[in-house]
Amino acid sequence: MPVPDIFRQGIARGWKTYDGSALEQDLTLEADVAIIGSGAGGGTTAEILSAAGFKVLIIEEGPLRTSDDFAPLRENKAYPALYQEGLGRMSKNGAVTILQGRAVGGTTTVNWTSSFRTPKPTLEHWAKEHAVAGHDEASMAPWFAKMEERLGVAKWAVPPNGNNQVIADGCDALGLKHDIIPRNVRGCWNLGYCGLGCPTNAKQSMLVTTIPATLDNNGELLYLARVNRLQIEGSRVVGLECLAMDERCVAPNGRKISVRAKHYVLSGGGINSPAVLLRSNAPDPHQLAGKRTFLHITNFSAARFAQKLDPFAGAPQSVYSDQFQWHDGAAGEMSYKIEVAPMQPVFASTLLAGVGEQAAATMAALPHINFMLALGRDGFHPDSAIGNVELRDDGSPILDYQMTDYSWDGVRRAWLSMAEIQFAAGAQQVWPVHVDAPWLSSWQEAKAAINSLPLELYRARIGSAHVMGGCGMSEDPKLGVTDSLGRHHQLENLSIHDGSLFPTSIGANPQLSIYGLTAKLASQLVERLKA
Amino acid sequence: MNASNNHNLALAVSRRGLLKFSLMGSAMLAAAGVTASLSGCSSSQPDTGYQVLRREDVSFLSALIPVVMQGTFVAGKEATATQLTLQAFDRNLAHFSPEVLKLMQQLLDVLGMAFTRGPLTGVWGSWDSASREEVTAFLERWKNSSISLLNMGYSSLVQLIPMAWYGQTEAWGHCGYPGPPTI
Ligand SMILES: Cc1cc2nc3c(=O)[nH]c(=O)nc-3n(C[C@H](O)[C@H](O)[C@H](O)COP(=O)(O)OP(=O)(O)OC[C@H]3O[C@@H](n4cnc5c(N)ncnc54)[C@H](O)[C@@H]3O)c2cc1C
Ligand code: SF4
Repeated sequence: MPVPDIFRQGIARGWKTYDGSALEQDLTLEADVAIIGSGAGGGTTAEILSAAGFKVLIIEEGPLRTSDDFAPLRENKAYPALYQEGLGRMSKNGAVTILQGRAVGGTTTVNWTSSFRTPKPTLEHWAKEHAVAGHDEASMAPWFAKMEERLGVAKWAVPPNGNNQVIADGCDALGLKHDIIPRNVRGCWNLGYCGLGCPTNAKQSMLVTTIPATLDNNGELLYLARVNRLQIEGSRVVGLECLAMDERCVAPNGRKISVRAKHYVLSGGGINSPAVLLRSNAPDPHQLAGKRTFLHITNFSAARFAQKLDPFAGAPQSVYSDQFQWHDGAAGEMSYKIEVAPMQPVFASTLLAGVGEQAAATMAALPHINFMLALGRDGFHPDSAIGNVELRDDGSPILDYQMTDYSWDGVRRAWLSMAEIQFAAGAQQVWPVHVDAPWLSSWQEAKAAINSLPLELYRARIGSAHVMGGCGMSEDPKLGVTDSLGRHHQLENLSIHDGSLFPTSIGANPQLSIYGLTAKLASQLVERLKA
Repeated sequence: MNASNNHNLALAVSRRGLLKFSLMGSAMLAAAGVTASLSGCSSSQPDTGYQVLRREDVSFLSALIPVVMQGTFVAGKEATATQLTLQAFDRNLAHFSPEVLKLMQQLLDVLGMAFTRGPLTGVWGSWDSASREEVTAFLERWKNSSISLLNMGYSSLVQLIPMAWYGQTEAWGHCGYPGPPTI
């Protein structure tokens, strides 16, 4: 193995971990603070609380997979193991594929390392429209700086791979702005397999940073265990009811774990955190849990180039354009951030999917393909598409995400922007990813075709890797599940620290927004718990 | 099919003013679901060698895979490639959450049982004897149907099949993928 496996070494040194799938009997665990979920919010919170001397227990539904397991980088092994619902998660109508991680480290174990601070217009919009207090740009800056330092965030200094370079070339030719993406990596090998788990521990995910630090600080980790319900008495959480999962993390294996703590932090991420509240019948006088869930609804444009771009190799995301992001104000027409996606063949084949010879020819051209995406900034305008978390019969959550004409209009403009950039960068052909669109040979032709595409579910391929909101924060209990400090409005010893706190989507890839905000909330929680 | 799906189906279709077809379609889907769960007319046991796929599913997918993947499999090796895809499809399904798996199985029930298959797919005989043309026509019909459940079925199938195939090392030659870097 190329690098030492941090987890195997730690466990050998005596880290305290429990594997739910291997339990021979039911278990009771106690801690000062129990944290539900080990992703961006949970990991950040765990490190800060454990460093302050609190006994922390992290509970994670997914498996523990570490650098030794990630090699030899096979998509067919990684996706079913590391993603929510075994990569089967989709919106209730089946039209939106939803990617979220489910493993120790949460989605940070599989994310693509792009690291942006929360944009200023977003913070301003929250203060103005959602009664969020104390999180203006100046007060957030030190927290972003602290987490950038902690996680090695820096602008990517290596030349972008061919796939990313298309954004730079196309924007240069058209006079549009673009920039290099900051990444949270240290000693990155520029492999491009971040979505399968980083085999070199270069990615500074929670798996190799805050969680090891927590375990070094006397913390404990229970994995392959799903928090089913919060046990609630009056205005307090008195315990957690957890179900141990089988090795594949498909179904509970019959063992139960009860957890008792003084304080509880919910960090299950979008969709999952609201689901815990809903399953627990947590007090919710204004019926807010799970409402206002957002996705950065994403559409795609593929382009074929004469030269090889090898979109499956090299840092997945290194160039972006915000040209179409704030041009109409925070709450104007739907706007979007333009990036690319890495294209290992399994992932590529689902995005480029089709039937017969045409799909076969597209896949045969894979080394020559640039795959651009637009992250639609949902939740700022009253007519935006919006999601609502519901529970299925077995208590698992499903997102009812409803597209609107406003959001479809953004999707259409995004196809136009992407095609124009791709042709300007020298693409021979462009395919707006929609079942009715053919490969198009010029910008003129593309413009006409895109303007007449039917904007319909199942015809336009849309997806999301950024679930946000559902437990929105607000000083006004009628508008938010928590206050601006992540304190649940009705349950005094419950905090929420993850991407579900956001009142809208972010308008940039969300991880650093979550690290910065939850670092701040966790530090303030330390002060309150010590008082 | 559960009640809420039928409800969606009826709504989706009536919005387009095709109520008659909707009622027929949803009655049929409902009947398929009930029959499948009550009568065992679609077997509930996985076929030998599979974790999840049942005999009817295997015969349906064996007809579908070569059509979806046409032009991809190496000539002369279609049968092995189909078999590899089936096995990988089965493994992927076996990792889905129980609710997503249930949805997939309901879809496969509708496709497997003779009395829903004929009217909804246009393939009246068994899948084992369906021609490529018939299978292609069925896919076109589902892609362009005004019943959103069929559109959804189409889009799941045409994504899950390549997803299963391209995870295999045997698939990489076709798409110019050198394989993951060795580290
Ligand atoms: C493929 C992909 C690429 C991405 N790339 C980027 C990127 O480049 N840059 C960026 O900024 N963002 C990226 N993201 C998104 C980003 O990683 C997430 O938004 C972020 O990690 C969310 O943090 P979180 O704390 O809200 O939840 P998560 O990180 O998702 O963590 C939540 C964890 O809680 C666990 N959990 C949930 N419910 C329970 C329960 N009841 N009991 C026990 N455990 C539970 C989950 O299994 C999960 O592991 C990407 C996402 C994906 C899917
Ligand atoms: S690109 Fe860098 S961070 Fe991503 S998997 Fe490769 S080595 Fe790890």
